[in-house]
Amino acid sequence: MSTEESEALQLLYPPHIQHNTNSLHTVKFLSALFSGAAAGILGLENFSGFALFLASTLLTTSGIWLVKCKGRPQKYLHGGLGPLLNPGQDNLFSFVLVWTLFYALVHVYD
Amino acid sequence: MSTQNLYLDPQIRNWVLFPITLVMILVGLLRHYATLLLTSPPKKQPLNVIREQRGVLRAQILRQSSKQSPLPPSYYHTISSSLVEAFHNGDYLKDGPRDANAPPPPPANPLTDPAAMDGMMENMKKQMVMNIPQMIIMGWINFFFSGFLVIKLPFPLTNGFKEMLQRGIQTPNLDVRWVSSLSWYFLNLFGLNGLFRLILGNDNGADSTNDLASSPFANLGNQASAPLAPGQDMHKIFLQEKDSLELAETTYKWVGDSIEDRILAKWGKIQSPSRKEKVL
Repeated sequence: MSTEESEALQLLYPPHIQHNTNSLHTVKFLSALFSGAAAGILGLENFSGFALFLASTLLTTSGIWLVKCKGRPQKYLHGGLGPLLNPGQDNLFSFVLVWTLFYALVHVYD
Repeated sequence: MSTQNLYLDPQIRNWVLFPITLVMILVGLLRHYATLLLTSPPKKQPLNVIREQRGVLRAQILRQSSKQSPLPPSYYHTISSSLVEAFHNGDYLKDGPRDANAPPPPPANPLTDPAAMDGMMENMKKQMVMNIPQMIIMGWINFFFSGFLVIKLPFPLTNGFKEMLQRGIQTPNLDVRWVSSLSWYFLNLFGLNGLFRLILGNDNGADSTNDLASSPFANLGNQASAPLAPGQDMHKIFLQEKDSLELAETTYKWVGDSIEDRILAKWGKIQSPSRKEKVL
């Protein structure tokens, strides 16, 4: 099994993988921002806010998987579905920041 | 469960929320450029030192791609055999081929080896650039923006956070969700990393996740085993690499092997051979 894996690994070109990873990062950050804004404006609290974050992550992941990777993420990225699904390293905090900001702008201040 | 609805002056929003965020973004940019200016470019090293460091890397790259190698057989075997010979004779070692009877040199001490010291100094300089602005901003916020509520968090926290996030407001019954400006600072600290990564690119100097994870002594353990310091181990490493290279030669297969048959079979001109070819 490991020989097939290393053969598949070899067919990936590192600069392209780097570019793909970067654009994936950007997409995830932007989706975290916009879902934060949506959660804040809608006035979601507690779990419903985090549920919206989860739903937006799933939506962006499935969009990328279907439309961009055409169902074969191992052609474009190292490790297939894992990196696609991961919401990105600080995106949870960015989501919370924007959520808090918009919640306060809309619901706390007049 | 009380839903306390307090009325906050909109002036707070204009003069506290936005200025703090703006200042943190600008200070982050400043830190990034200061880091760029402070880090000195890597010192030029003589050719034989670099050759020693990169020799193993070359062999590894050759080995890893040997199963579906892009190199035709003549190139692969030439490179492989020249590397094997160089490793065997110690040609790539920094101080020249080792004398069979000379005693092996002692491994370099990280504290006295100049190359390792430079690395540690660089790290410490970077830490200073990171930490000082953070402390200054925290002091500024505590001085100017203390004593009033700034924002309501949309999610609940335990009461333990109350003491930290509501510093300066002496009301024991207030919901933990109403917080002071220091917590807005913390939210911004973690939340703006993504923004910096977007504007400044991946290795930016403004990212605060790096300060928490690394320290001046984090690399001390790595440096002893890095190819930089010990001289004797390189010889052993070279010998091990030589053995792996010889092993890899047996599993070498050119990608273009019998490619004429494969292409013809793909286009249906001849019967495909019985083995299945994996087509991605």
